[in-house]
Amino acid sequence: MDRRRVNGPAGGTAPPVYASTLTGKTASAANRTRQPNEIRKIFVKTGLTPSASGSAYLELESSPATHHSKSLTNRTPALKLTCTVHGPRPLPRSAPFSPQLLLSTRVKFAPFAARQRRGYIPDASEKDLAAHLETALRGVLIGERWPKSGVDVVVTVLEGEEDCPLEALAEGNQGGRIGGWGLMSILSGCITVASAAVTDAGIDCVDLITGGVAAIVRQPSAPLQLVLDPCPSDHEEIVAACVIGYLQSRDEVTELWAKGNISPSSSGKETKPLCFETLVDLAVEAANGARRVLVEAIKESTEAKLESSAVG
Amino acid sequence: MSAPLPPLAYPGLPLGPSSLYTPGPGTHLSPSPSSTHIHASLAGRPILLPPSNKTSTLTPSTNNKATKPTPSPNNRGGAISVPSILPSATHARPTSKNISNKNVLPEVGSVVLARVLRVRGRGVDVGILVVYDKPIEGGPGGGKEGKDGGNAGWGEGNVCGEEWQGVIRREDVRATERDGVVCAEGFRVGDVVRGVVISLGDQSNYYLTTGKNELGVVMAKSEAGNTMVPISWREFRDPVTGATESRKVAKPF
Repeated sequence: MDRRRVNGPAGGTAPPVYASTLTGKTASAANRTRQPNEIRKIFVKTGLTPSASGSAYLELESSPATHHSKSLTNRTPALKLTCTVHGPRPLPRSAPFSPQLLLSTRVKFAPFAARQRRGYIPDASEKDLAAHLETALRGVLIGERWPKSGVDVVVTVLEGEEDCPLEALAEGNQGGRIGGWGLMSILSGCITVASAAVTDAGIDCVDLITGGVAAIVRQPSAPLQLVLDPCPSDHEEIVAACVIGYLQSRDEVTELWAKGNISPSSSGKETKPLCFETLVDLAVEAANGARRVLVEAIKESTEAKLESSAVG
Repeated sequence: MSAPLPPLAYPGLPLGPSSLYTPGPGTHLSPSPSSTHIHASLAGRPILLPPSNKTSTLTPSTNNKATKPTPSPNNRGGAISVPSILPSATHARPTSKNISNKNVLPEVGSVVLARVLRVRGRGVDVGILVVYDKPIEGGPGGGKEGKDGGNAGWGEGNVCGEEWQGVIRREDVRATERDGVVCAEGFRVGDVVRGVVISLGDQSNYYLTTGKNELGVVMAKSEAGNTMVPISWREFRDPVTGATESRKVAKPF
């Protein structure tokens, strides 16, 4: 017995075990209600964080199929992201002379972002997303216009996607699947929301960049299918997915991330072969869809700013 | 004649052919040789600066009213510019009439207001607070010159979001007798100085000069803590105590 420290009770206590509320097949594995070429509805608004020089919020609707169940725990998660841009601001005194804008990106999951609590220390997936986001944005910013300055882009994931169907979570395992598909939708959202925030901050960009995701999914008792904007909890299995950062007016790609089991090019003669090239084309299509929303959101906030500056 | 400018621009939007216009601030040229369009690089209301003025291609206009595009048939139709606007619609910082609130960076040649942070033997460390737009002659922002006594001769003042470090080296304090300058006789910590950026400087500091009559200390407080008034090109007087202190005084207008 250690007398110099506070000891626990002599008789050990067992942690409480709660019965799972996710029993039963309330949400089937394959409940995608959208068309294969239909992306989720997007909400974008800029200028929400007054202390930042630019900010934006992005939300993707949750899939409506599970709304019939009133339980909060059964809700399919939506994707909610906020992005703040700080700067351009002076570099720290220790930094060497830089003739152009130094970009640093951070992606952080809120502790409550997913069903499993996230820690405060950046983990590998957050650093990975930040690195991908940085490559995507670096090709868009006109850095030469801001010498000797740095800009920080911080994306906070308020609600992230689950990697697997809900019943697999209820069973307490990942359903034997490889996780990480949800990260692709998150990266696509990060790219779009960061683009909105950077534009809001008034930093020169060559174009608006938007993210798009396409995937090859396996539905129960159906052949492999190509879908835009997959929500991982909607599908039984995702075979391959691709996320892209696309500049529409220049027809350029600054970020491409694909994973899964996929052939590089088509061999058959079908119109949409299940190959990498088709996947990229579809991801571009998804990015173009997101761009239309982004343009409208930016126009709206620009008009509001012009009005307020005319009054003030 | 080309199509009029779109009412609102966002990054990537084509604004006009580069055969007719020159790209101004807030725009860029597309890199591909096949497409020779000027694209916007900021969100805002594009304006057309008059073609006669060469300097207008370099200078952003600060009022957000669109001017009528008047491209002359033979000549170039002037510069298209997308003036940057307030960083955020929700910004609630107090803005005065001639002070706007946008992202600005000190450039070589821009007039700035700076606060003295430290006086050393070799120079004076300052923090740059306000950057004035370069003066526009005949441009859409230039008509109000001299109206607001304080900033006659140069454009609109822009408050920096962050304080930028600058240094006035000893030899840049005044234009004459540059070897005999004593920094402590020209500045004191807390003074507000008007200067001109002469170089982007080293890794952290912009280099400023006050080597002109209209440059130097514009606002100073005495040792007693009272705001002083300039009485000569090198002296301020405390109106309460009557004591005088030496400064590198900016010529009052």
